[in-house]
Amino acid sequence: MLKRAAAMASKDLKLSVSGGQGLVQAVLLGLLLIFLFSLSKPLGGAISAQAAGAIFWLASAFGLVLVFNDLFAIEEANGARMGILSSPAPVHAVWIGKGVAGLCLLLVSQLVFLPATVAFLDQTVHGPWWLMLVTLAGADIGLVVIGALLGALSQGQAARESLLSVIVFPLLLPVLLSGITLFSMCFSPGTSEGFDGWLGLIFAFDALFSGAGLFLFPFVYSGEE
Amino acid sequence: MKVKILAALSGVALLVHQYMIWHYAPVAQSGPVQKIFYMHLPCSWWALVSFFVVFVSSLLYLFRRDPAYDRVAGAAAELGVLFATLSLVTGSVWARAEWGHWWVWDPKLTTALIMWYVYAGYLVLRSTPMGRDRKALVCAVLGIVAFLDVPLVFFAAKLWGSAHPDGLARQGSGMEPRMWHTVFAGLVAFGFMWGALLLTRAGQLGRMARLEAMLVWDDEE
Repeated sequence: MLKRAAAMASKDLKLSVSGGQGLVQAVLLGLLLIFLFSLSKPLGGAISAQAAGAIFWLASAFGLVLVFNDLFAIEEANGARMGILSSPAPVHAVWIGKGVAGLCLLLVSQLVFLPATVAFLDQTVHGPWWLMLVTLAGADIGLVVIGALLGALSQGQAARESLLSVIVFPLLLPVLLSGITLFSMCFSPGTSEGFDGWLGLIFAFDALFSGAGLFLFPFVYSGEE
Repeated sequence: MKVKILAALSGVALLVHQYMIWHYAPVAQSGPVQKIFYMHLPCSWWALVSFFVVFVSSLLYLFRRDPAYDRVAGAAAELGVLFATLSLVTGSVWARAEWGHWWVWDPKLTTALIMWYVYAGYLVLRSTPMGRDRKALVCAVLGIVAFLDVPLVFFAAKLWGSAHPDGLARQGSGMEPRMWHTVFAGLVAFGFMWGALLLTRAGQLGRMARLEAMLVWDDEE
């Protein structure tokens, strides 16, 4: 199954990078958001570490919606979804493949958002770096698990971006709050007390929704319109 | 018949509850504004029960594929959003009077707000144009995912509140027995009303589905 999931992820990544617009739109929208929020900085003042963390994760959440819309939209043309469903690949391989492809694309967009947050919002990464990387990995897994599960909900819908945003954003709140708090710790000098509770929350979210995704994805990803 | 009985019971129970609020329960230290609590608590409880019913009905729909479960989930979600809205409004008015703020980062209040957003999104999904069976299926999936999120949202709001000076935890209530009696009367009265509304709305949705099926049949002829 993992081999087929890898094939699915590689197919999605190739299509996204070569012709898809999800990644480009995600990066552009995220950059625009970070720049626009930088305008709220008072003259001679500073944007707080927590606000910077919130802006970074807001950009990531919008990026997630665009990335997964694109990943599911590329199979709408020419009945490709029916082709995948008819193939011997188990439907769970589709979910894992979409998740891995979405994770790669989200990480690429965050590679742009992080320096933009530092530059436009005048932040310094005080570290610890391991905390930032673990937060990024854990929170991103939570985001893509939900994105890969619910991205299929809006397949075939006209207003899919807005529908997905309305449904996904409130569900992501635990992982977004954790990401914001932990990033604000990394942007502030010497205050990383209480990080364990937040990391625990992120990994509980990942575990719970990975299990739920494995069970529920076959119901969502079907040939029905 | 069940609806009529429940509606009659709820009418009587709500009148008794109002009497208890204004004439039986003593006035609290904070003044008469505390009486909003007797409306606020039942709304919150029955909103949570509604969301649990959405969860259970969604699970049952996935396993049995009976449209009746989908209709119960839809009706319960509508009621849940209605009761959660009333709970948020009454909670906000009460917070303003008690603490001087319209909104505080109280874990329960915040969880209620986030769940309101989640289930409002669920209702948006229910109203999107989609094939009937597919819509029932995706709504069932969202109904399950949404309820799984409740404990995580509560824990996140609690952690967040503990890190903020404006996060106020409610102190021990120290309520008198007559206040508790009024609270329980409210829970029962609102329970009857909730049951009557749920059955009425599920019945309406059932009739709507039947009508739609007949209209499609006419089109095909």
